[in-house]
Amino acid sequence: MQSRAAVSTSLQLLCPARIIRFMEGVSLWLAFLLMLSTHSLMADASEAEVTGGQFHFVDQQGAWQEPATLLNADYQVTVSGLIATTRLRQTFRNTSQQWREGVFTFPLPEQAGVHALTMEAGERRIEGRIAERQQARQRYEKAKEEGRQAARLDQQRPNLFSTHLANIPPGESITVELQYQQPVQYRYGEFELRLPTTLTPRYMPGVPLPVPESEEWLAGWALPTSQVSDAQRISPFTVARGDVHPDSHRASVNVDIDAGLPVASVSSPSHRVSGIRDGDRVTVTPDNGRIVMDRDLVLRWRPVRGQEPSAAVFHEQFQGEDYLLAMLVPGLSQNRDFPRELIFVLDSSGSMAGESIRQARQALLYGLETLRPGDRFNVLQFNSQTGSLYPRPVAVNAHNLSRARQYVREVTAGGGTEMAQALTRALDHQNQIPGGFVRQVVFITDGAVGNEEALFGVIRRQLGDSRLFTVGIGSAPNMHFMRDAARHGRGSYTTVQDSSDIAGTLESLFRKMQAPVLADIRSRWPVADVQPLPEPVPDLFRSEPLVQVVRGQPAEGDAVFSGTRPDGSRWSRSLALGSAVAGTGLHRLWAKQRIERLEDRRESQSEDTVRKLVTDLSVKHQLLTPYTSFLAIDQTPRRPASESLTDEAIPVLQPAGSKASMLRYPRTATLSPLLLVLGLMSLMFTLCLYLLRRFG
Amino acid sequence: MISRLLLLLSSTTAVLLVAGLWIPFKALLAQELLELAWAESRARQTEVKPWPWADTWPVARLSFPGEAGSVIVLQGAHGESLAFGPGRLVGGSSVTDPVVIAGHRDTHFARLADLEAGSRLQVTYRTGEPVSYRVRLSRVVDSRREMIDLTRLPPGSLMLVTCYPFDTLDAGGPLRYVVEAEPEFALAEPVASR
Repeated sequence: MQSRAAVSTSLQLLCPARIIRFMEGVSLWLAFLLMLSTHSLMADASEAEVTGGQFHFVDQQGAWQEPATLLNADYQVTVSGLIATTRLRQTFRNTSQQWREGVFTFPLPEQAGVHALTMEAGERRIEGRIAERQQARQRYEKAKEEGRQAARLDQQRPNLFSTHLANIPPGESITVELQYQQPVQYRYGEFELRLPTTLTPRYMPGVPLPVPESEEWLAGWALPTSQVSDAQRISPFTVARGDVHPDSHRASVNVDIDAGLPVASVSSPSHRVSGIRDGDRVTVTPDNGRIVMDRDLVLRWRPVRGQEPSAAVFHEQFQGEDYLLAMLVPGLSQNRDFPRELIFVLDSSGSMAGESIRQARQALLYGLETLRPGDRFNVLQFNSQTGSLYPRPVAVNAHNLSRARQYVREVTAGGGTEMAQALTRALDHQNQIPGGFVRQVVFITDGAVGNEEALFGVIRRQLGDSRLFTVGIGSAPNMHFMRDAARHGRGSYTTVQDSSDIAGTLESLFRKMQAPVLADIRSRWPVADVQPLPEPVPDLFRSEPLVQVVRGQPAEGDAVFSGTRPDGSRWSRSLALGSAVAGTGLHRLWAKQRIERLEDRRESQSEDTVRKLVTDLSVKHQLLTPYTSFLAIDQTPRRPASESLTDEAIPVLQPAGSKASMLRYPRTATLSPLLLVLGLMSLMFTLCLYLLRRFG
Repeated sequence: MISRLLLLLSSTTAVLLVAGLWIPFKALLAQELLELAWAESRARQTEVKPWPWADTWPVARLSFPGEAGSVIVLQGAHGESLAFGPGRLVGGSSVTDPVVIAGHRDTHFARLADLEAGSRLQVTYRTGEPVSYRVRLSRVVDSRREMIDLTRLPPGSLMLVTCYPFDTLDAGGPLRYVVEAEPEFALAEPVASR
């Protein structure tokens, strides 16, 4: 300290006028530098203003911010006979200081028919009604502007929905309760129920289009493309588990199974569950309380051996009309072996990275094992491009198989999901089939695409004599794609839950793939002109039940089902309708099937005709469709006009075991320029002070 | 009184200047050390840590056109690795994977500002010959709005990321400068049989 003081005094003594002038010059330069840097700082500020606007999860600094709206779900499922009804309560808790609008895009089962919506805010319960989609949106926007609380539910895909919830007060919660029903799967002598809780981010093929002017585009990470015009609505932000509040994105589940027959066992390949038995009823809950919403919950139950249902009839009256559901298990099997041409198609796109691609490889290796001498096969894989092992299918022999195994083991996941060209290539060998081969395409994928409809079109147009089988992979596969691709491909579908599950599920699939046990299926009902659904009846594979639903048929008389067996012989069975038991929700099941049928005909009928028919059905049965929305609006304004509303897109969790395909930009600046500028500034002050002291 | 203030100010000045200059100096010095580790990892074909406590290692050399020279690219783009060199965020498991490299705007990646469409870049990976890339476009993105969508990057492409604007003091701004380049010689069909 003392020595430094001494230095400055000696400097003071030594300083001639020349040095002072020099220092003045330096100070001037420093001032100029300072001005330059402040200028760029100001330029930066104005730039941020231009691009600013909505901030999703990221604060001004570009750092991650937990969503302020916490989401919790509660699934109360009641299984009655062949229909499961779910009461799903989504609670949105606003932890911020501002009024919020929440947008949540979420999955439901692929055959879910949503038939009720209620908004609960504090003491008030407001029932939602079906309204035409465009109208619903306008009324919602109006209510939102006026500060009234409103909830709106839209169907974006058969298995993808979005809730808009306006004016959630700071620090409070609003609950949206919806009710939906779905048919329970009965296959391989086992019932299966699936509750999806998240979705695998979808790939949007096509060229990005300019951002539309509407307010909605911020709800998703994707921009509309030439092939997926609503990409922004089906692309909720997908975040890691640690990126949301620990209390958010959890679901409580309670499944009440009343199958009407004794249940032998209940199991889940996705979660640890336990059941409490009460006679024929079983109540199932997950062991760890509230589950993390990062994978589908799959529940399977098996009837006691010897008590498996072989036929069942349910009856319901709705608005004076009779609805009947008939289920029949033909119990046929066929042991004839046909020489097959098997085309395996493996999805190796980026969304498959992680656990999924490992399972997919394993599934394909398993599939190769099922080939027998005399069969022909090929292996295709696709991401942004499609590649194949052989230019055309080859005979099964040890050499070809070992090359195939090698090829499959080397597959890695990355890139886009250009599925159309893969489908075209897999189905497009019609003319090259030597006679006598049954052509089957096994499509192994997570179905993470946004252009499902276009792909179904490709399948319908190019299918020819082939049959398409889909195998769903991953924690959250797109079941809408799995089911409908198989439906249009006249095949069947299955899913793989985890590695230990592969052998079992695939064995069933490959065994039943051999050939359908019943084709050309017809049904005759006592009332002559009823139109049973689904129409046409899909071919039945081994262990699958035959299910039909009709309107206008009272529970009396006999229905006769008939079909052709693989060897050409006829099969028929009659079912006494008088034994029908009371069922619920059959009219909705019928309406849902009818709507699906109408939508399948969109190619041949005008969009307006379909829209009109579907909207009428939707209003009559209070069933959500792509053309309608559920809307619940409170009458009294809650938000004062002086308070502003911040909107927030609530993210979904990254499916368990998958790798993120969306990365955040890293921080790539240092403090160096700031420190240098501050240093220079400080230097300037020092010099000024020095000069001051020199003359003062 | 004034002399004490002067003393305080001059020591502050010294601290600030040293701290401010230390960052680019470290970046420069580290690159020299990385050269050694890089040469060794090329020779031995393994991951070589540049210093024993490092949590990253050199994975590639990135050469800029003309006089701009080259830098050693490290694995990962966390704060630790970026202080010493640009970091590889994505890529490396196969040749057809897109590669994303991020670097500090103030040090190694200041030169991104000079790249324009058509500029040539070269990247040498540990296992192979240099790969030439041609810059397709550069753009400014808002990191609050956009994420890097890996499925949309063309196979075999290269993406360089740094902060934007280049001459600002704000170290936490949301804007990023992104340079996208594609390989000069089209790669073979990525999934064709080998």
